[in-house]
Amino acid sequence: MEAERHMGRSIASVTRDQILEAELSWISSLVLFYSTVYLVLRLDVLWVVFGIVALSLYVLPIVTSRDPFRALPWEMTIVLSLPILLHVSEGSRALRETAVWWDDLTSLAFAFSTSTIGFLLTIELRMFTSVRMNRPFAIFFVIMFTLAISGFWQVGEYVGDVVFGTQSQATNGAVMGIMLWSLVGGIAMGIVYDVYLKSMSAKRMKALGLVSLWEEPV
Amino acid sequence: MGGACVKERLKLLSRAMQAGMVAVVMAGLITGNFTWIPAALLSLFVSEVPSLLRRDLRLVLPIELNFWIVLALFFHVVAGFSGFYDRVPGWDHITHVLSASLVAALGFVLVVSIDKYVDSIYLPRPFLAFFIVMFTMAFGVVWELLEFGNDQLTGSRLQYSLSDSMIDMMFDAFGGTIVATAGAHYLTHTSPERFVESLQLDHARERVTKLVERRRGMS
Repeated sequence: MEAERHMGRSIASVTRDQILEAELSWISSLVLFYSTVYLVLRLDVLWVVFGIVALSLYVLPIVTSRDPFRALPWEMTIVLSLPILLHVSEGSRALRETAVWWDDLTSLAFAFSTSTIGFLLTIELRMFTSVRMNRPFAIFFVIMFTLAISGFWQVGEYVGDVVFGTQSQATNGAVMGIMLWSLVGGIAMGIVYDVYLKSMSAKRMKALGLVSLWEEPV
Repeated sequence: MGGACVKERLKLLSRAMQAGMVAVVMAGLITGNFTWIPAALLSLFVSEVPSLLRRDLRLVLPIELNFWIVLALFFHVVAGFSGFYDRVPGWDHITHVLSASLVAALGFVLVVSIDKYVDSIYLPRPFLAFFIVMFTMAFGVVWELLEFGNDQLTGSRLQYSLSDSMIDMMFDAFGGTIVATAGAHYLTHTSPERFVESLQLDHARERVTKLVERRRGMS
């Protein structure tokens, strides 16, 4: 059993569904990867850091288990790569000028994705370090993490604007709006991930290697 | 005995600062300048909370922390009443570092206690430091949002400009980082167990369970 876990599974034991799931997840992660590479070329420092952190958290379980099917659930990978895609797509610039709610949408997507990183942190800290959290604490951590990252992010943009003369921040009101969305998104995703882990089937959880990660220590 | 002497002095200073807050209430009443009275009353109450905890729950916060609480409130209320926010450049940021470090310190006490008392939670020191920084920053963001909301709803001007609120948050992060570093350092030579014991949380817990049981017995 132990050896099997380390060596990865033989391809015969993998079901069609698992292959499909892993494919979806890998394709979504490619979006994240290429966006990050593109942003490296554009020297968009904050977003590059975001992309690298997200990618590392994505790759870590796969590399350590040497099992390509231990990829994150595809729905989480999509949530993770959505805001960076919105950020790089030229379409979002055109939309920003026509649709007033566009900025709110991108802020909310960003909040979803930072809370996903927070959630992944709770899981991977459990996997790779001695940190142990229980469910309420982990939910609190996800919400707090989302808020704090949005704070550091805005400070980072502010410093960038002052030092490099860029104009990523508009008005105080706009920045407060973004942080408000991160509060809303953080709380929403804290609840969503709680329900998500509770309702995920045991079989799928096991296949993804998420077994008992948020549960009480066995 | 040097330690005891310092403690006495801190206590005396705290009392003096509380007297200052009382003075603000009186001066406000006499001059008809009511703006700072609610803040002063609230601060007086908050500065008494540690003594209440000690009396009713036998929960002892470190004396330095008590002093820090009173100091932060004093800087806000008394200096605010004297117009420091308008006259002294950067006063806003000084109070932000103070209050952020206070939030971080309370977060530290909270999270170390959780670590000790909840069996399913274990937080090693580096993570603790990381947690404190994130906690303080998250609190700072909520704070700015509250200021913004207050400005929008009541037309007050707590936030001057974008750079003002961003620099506030920078100082929040600064205060949080200092406390996180100090806290992690503190725990290298005091075990979390000893720290939590010095808070007498066990007594407090007994008291609370007793109170709850009494309540249950009554209803």
